Amino acid sequence: MGVLFIIAFRNLVQARRRTALLSGAIGLVTLLLVLLLSLSQGIADNLVKSATTLSAGHVVVAGFYKPSPSQALPLVTDAAKVRKVIEDSTPGLDYIVSRGRGWGKFVGPGGTVQAGYTGVTLAGEPHFLETLQLAFQDEYVDGGKHEVLGDATRIAEPGAVIIFANQARRMEVEVGDDLTFVTETSDGRTNTIDLRVVAVARDLGMLSSFSVLGEAETLRKVYKLNEDTAGAFWIYLKDIDQAEAVMGTLRVALAQAGFQLMDHDPNPFFFKFEGVAGEDWTGQKLDVTIWRDEVSFLVRILDVFNLVSVFIAAVLLVIVAIGIINTMFNIVRERTREIGTMRAIGIHRSRVLVLFLIEASMLGLFATVMGATVGAGLSMAIDAAGFPAPIDAMKAILLSDTIHMSVRFATLAQVIFVLTSCTGLAALWPAARGARLRPIVALGYTS
Amino acid sequence: MPGIVELTNVVKDYPLGKLSVRALHDINITIGEGEFTAIAGPSGSGKTTILNMIGCMDVPTQGTVSIAGTITNNLGDRALTDLRLNRIGFIFQTFNLINVLDVYQNVEFPLLLQGKLSGAERKARVNAMVEKVGLTKQIGQRPNELSGGQRQRVAIARALVTNPAIVLADEPTANLDSKTGHAIIDLMSDLNRNDKITFIFSTHDPKVMECATRLVKVEDGRVVG
Repeated sequence: MGVLFIIAFRNLVQARRRTALLSGAIGLVTLLLVLLLSLSQGIADNLVKSATTLSAGHVVVAGFYKPSPSQALPLVTDAAKVRKVIEDSTPGLDYIVSRGRGWGKFVGPGGTVQAGYTGVTLAGEPHFLETLQLAFQDEYVDGGKHEVLGDATRIAEPGAVIIFANQARRMEVEVGDDLTFVTETSDGRTNTIDLRVVAVARDLGMLSSFSVLGEAETLRKVYKLNEDTAGAFWIYLKDIDQAEAVMGTLRVALAQAGFQLMDHDPNPFFFKFEGVAGEDWTGQKLDVTIWRDEVSFLVRILDVFNLVSVFIAAVLLVIVAIGIINTMFNIVRERTREIGTMRAIGIHRSRVLVLFLIEASMLGLFATVMGATVGAGLSMAIDAAGFPAPIDAMKAILLSDTIHMSVRFATLAQVIFVLTSCTGLAALWPAARGARLRPIVALGYTS
Repeated sequence: MPGIVELTNVVKDYPLGKLSVRALHDINITIGEGEFTAIAGPSGSGKTTILNMIGCMDVPTQGTVSIAGTITNNLGDRALTDLRLNRIGFIFQTFNLINVLDVYQNVEFPLLLQGKLSGAERKARVNAMVEKVGLTKQIGQRPNELSGGQRQRVAIARALVTNPAIVLADEPTANLDSKTGHAIIDLMSDLNRNDKITFIFSTHDPKVMECATRLVKVEDGRVVG
């Protein structure tokens, strides 16, 4: 078999120009695919980061409390007991965060923002300050200074809120300014409270348009909630990939502890209000989801992006595959006499087939490794350069103000494997044609 | 005593459009072990077709071909390939070496396909064979670095390295100048005399025919002498 590798390799080297052109085409498709997948991974990273900072933990235990059949409040009652079950039953638990949930209007001097009020208890959130990056003043104030103002740790103060740069621009507020929060309470009345902006955070994509982070006790007062309630428990795991399995485990544990559970619905909690309000029951039902469910509308954008990427790569791959098939037919034709000689000497058809498949796969491997290496380097360079997204629509898709690209070794290995296999497969037809040649025909003794 | 090659009432037809052309008419040839046989005749007389039958690269339309006791008519491609690999050596008019392999690798190739010998045994066998054809100094060179005569010597070494029962040579001197051609025939003749290897070669060169211990004359697809 080793000699087949030698023949394949030396034939590729001998036909330098053809090898270079074909490698270039395969390498370019690989490069493009790596760039698209790196961008997709970058968006996915942004999505996970923003989702697990603003919307969810890796697993979320939330729920609805219905004081009457027509009302639904995003509340977890008997919160201490729920938390105890989570602590006792979650494998691979890192930490739990209790977040308050509210929804209303934030009114500033320049405008209004409709957003969720997320109640934060700083003492119970070990990584809150690490995940939140504060914005420079010039990111939300025209002519502002290129320096960070405010202090995120002040979110522990009563009435304190951290807003995002896009909200600061829309409401024309900055650090130290006051806002008014207007919301409807469980008894149907409108309640308002003044809040103070203690910091302005850098945007985390689309989600940061709909979320304001505030002190948890203030939220409790606005909604007149007692101590043993929570908006949601955000559960952070040591391995985010275990989220789905942990969700299943927790559903069983909570049911065994006597809690009523909603059927799993892979959508964010605010999508469920209407449906739950229309259901004919009262009391508490818990809702267990994972982070992906809470940002399912954004995951769909990512899915579409991935689909488009794969489609583009597939079209290019088909074009290249046609080129490979055509080239391999030429190679087989050029080397018909060599095939005839080898068949006369005593090589089996299967080995002739393998010879040409090795040749095509070798070419594919070389080209895809080169393409993937250049693509990975380019992705890392673009990521390091931190190019700003040129238009707002792109920011919404990227979930970031800058183009973030993330290269994973496993992705590169998959791309190399898949494209090399495709190259090998594309050679199958011409290789089979070569292998089927009778030695007497291949040697030109008869047609 | 049965011959190592026996062609009995062999007929070969080739399709030509809707017609059929008869290339061989009722051929009967028996060649004994250790013979140095020339199949002679003008171009288109059927020499190569006979060699193809003996070389298991083609099967007769009628009649039987027996190689070293095996009747080839009903063998499939795999069995015919194995028969070629293990019992027959080929020397071609245009040398037909594998251009990307050097002399050593070209000679070693059939042994690798057989897979019977260890690396050390293969090396010893190949080196001995290359020495026998006088190409030890050129062992690392590729075919395009060799003269025509040297290439044909490589082809001879490759044909002999598996110790075949028969070596077939299709016009082995046709692409060589007369001096080199004679040197090649002398080499084959020496190998036949010293190692008792059965050689069957086609030629239309009268000087080459003189070297054969047996001559089979063919004309218009028939044996005429």
